Amino acid sequence: MTELSTTPAGTIYDRGYRHYEGPREGRGRRVRAIAVAGVRRVLGLKRNWKTKVVPWGLLVLAFGPVLAFIGVRVLFAEAADEFFTYAQYLRIVAGLLLLFAATAGPELLCPDRRQNVLALIFTRPVTRSDYLLAKLAALLAVMGLIAIVPLVVLFCGNTLTADSAATYLGDHLDDLGKILIAGSVLTVFYSVTALAAASLTDRRAAATAGYLGVFLGSSALANILFFTAQFDGKRWVAFLSLSGLPGRFVDGLFGAGFDPGTLAEQARFTGPGYLAGMAAVAAVAAAVLIWRVLRLRP
Amino acid sequence: MTPIPWSPRPRPWTGHAGAAGVRRWPDRGPNQEDRHRVLVAEVEGLSKRYGTVQALDGVDVAIEPGCTGLVGSNGAGKSTLIKLLLGLLVPDQGRASVLGHDVAADPLAVRARVGYLPEGACLPEDVTAADFVAFMAQLGGLPPRPARERAAEVCYQVGLDEERYRAVGGFSTGMQQRVKLAVALVHDPSFLLLDEPTDGMDPQGREDMLELIARIRGELGIDVLVSTHLLGDVERVCDRVVMVHGGHVLAQGSIAEVAGTTEPGFGIQLGDNGPEVLAALAAAGLNARPSGRGSGGPMASPPVDEILVQGSSDLVRDVAAERGWPLRRLVPRAPSLEETFLRLQAANAGPAAPAADQPAQATPEAVWGARR
Repeated sequence: MTELSTTPAGTIYDRGYRHYEGPREGRGRRVRAIAVAGVRRVLGLKRNWKTKVVPWGLLVLAFGPVLAFIGVRVLFAEAADEFFTYAQYLRIVAGLLLLFAATAGPELLCPDRRQNVLALIFTRPVTRSDYLLAKLAALLAVMGLIAIVPLVVLFCGNTLTADSAATYLGDHLDDLGKILIAGSVLTVFYSVTALAAASLTDRRAAATAGYLGVFLGSSALANILFFTAQFDGKRWVAFLSLSGLPGRFVDGLFGAGFDPGTLAEQARFTGPGYLAGMAAVAAVAAAVLIWRVLRLRP
Repeated sequence: MTPIPWSPRPRPWTGHAGAAGVRRWPDRGPNQEDRHRVLVAEVEGLSKRYGTVQALDGVDVAIEPGCTGLVGSNGAGKSTLIKLLLGLLVPDQGRASVLGHDVAADPLAVRARVGYLPEGACLPEDVTAADFVAFMAQLGGLPPRPARERAAEVCYQVGLDEERYRAVGGFSTGMQQRVKLAVALVHDPSFLLLDEPTDGMDPQGREDMLELIARIRGELGIDVLVSTHLLGDVERVCDRVVMVHGGHVLAQGSIAEVAGTTEPGFGIQLGDNGPEVLAALAAAGLNARPSGRGSGGPMASPPVDEILVQGSSDLVRDVAAERGWPLRRLVPRAPSLEETFLRLQAANAGPAAPAADQPAQATPEAVWGARR
């Protein structure tokens, strides 16, 4: 027969509310919290699978060829030597960045306004500047992941699979610098312009469609004007092509030269010229973005 | 009593032997800061205009520790006042201070110590309640791990158990209100601003929410300002009230003061000529006014079905005897907050409405004086 224990075997825990007496962190924590939440949102983390399709699909497109190329280099060595140049790959990445920015920018800004979440966020000690800084940091982080990391992986792969890693590194160290510069410029350009477009509406679909429409439409318009109209100084039309600017800047930076017969080749502008054009566009977009976000009312 | 430090781990329950798992919120005695605090919030001459609409017109409000109801009809200026207290709007005139901080000079310090439950939908649809509450805790300054743990605790306290792991978009209105309350509480504020907390809730959900609000004040010791147009809710959970209408403060003070129930009152039915009866009672030195339950509504023309009187019932008897009026009914009765509000609102809308620059403190004299 089992005997009942006379000593208590269990403990009753008070799960009651307790006041928080622990540490409280400052502005940096709040900015970081919004930025981390933004990165999760853009990548669809902790959300349903549908929200993961576009970002992870684009990530696969950005990293897949690089990893495949390195695999081929490992298996077949010299056979794949000229498969990709850095400039070529950056031009591919520029296209992916455009698509990614068109979806990620609106994803970061529009739902907060459409679902009125700002009514809660701005009742915490968070300024509009903090909010803007955090959202920009989130997009820069993810865009940088696509713009810079695959190229750095490619560079490392080329170095490690070269006959002499030290020789390759010595000969191509300037390429690494150009990769970092080009990746950073493209990241900032697409991030700022995408957030500016997203700040103009609280509808994600409208922001995405508008952003792609302006970028692709401006390129078509620039080509039509350049090749069909006759007027003085029509070479400046090259700067109207928003989607063309990054690729031409990359070609100019790597000295790859422009494709013959194209607008870029006939306009006779150089890489720094297109960089200045991108800077001007980014500055206008930043002004719009700041103006819109500072006017946000919960 | 020393505040109980919050611990990420459950602590053994040292209280009385009640049912295991009961949600017990320990009392929070006043700390050093609280003891020296006279007013939770103070507003002086605050004005705010939206285009041609004067939302607030030189209002003076003093929020004392405890649970205060901010009542008024739609468009009265309640939400504007709350947003001004949070520093979300810039006043055209006047100043506000919350928990000793000047709102205009240091809005971030105010927001760090205030919790806010806004009116209407404001939650992200595709995020779980636990994640969102933890996120808002971090915005309140909590490090990530304590933020997650505290989010779980607070969700549990407001009645979100396993539901907290579901996306908020699938929640009922009542559950969304609970999430909003958890968001308001999670960073352990000293002052809660609740804007229409029972809005859109079913009767049971409304009861639960009112109970939660009462516990927040009673057991946690957090000062609360509840903005609502449901005066019954205010009578249930608040001990003080501020009545606003058309950008003006109609009355403020304890509910007993504002409703004029600090001295015994009774309702009478006396004769058929309401205004004549009222005049006769006033001439006899009695505070008398229509109850507002008559067919004509508050401050209505005759007939007046019921008259509320404060003072001696002997005097009423004497007046009735002198005039030969039949005293049909005399029962103890206190005016409800709703009756008081409707009467003050009607008085404010009439020609005898007080000027904007007149103080609107609700001493019994001021409240009853509105009739005279």
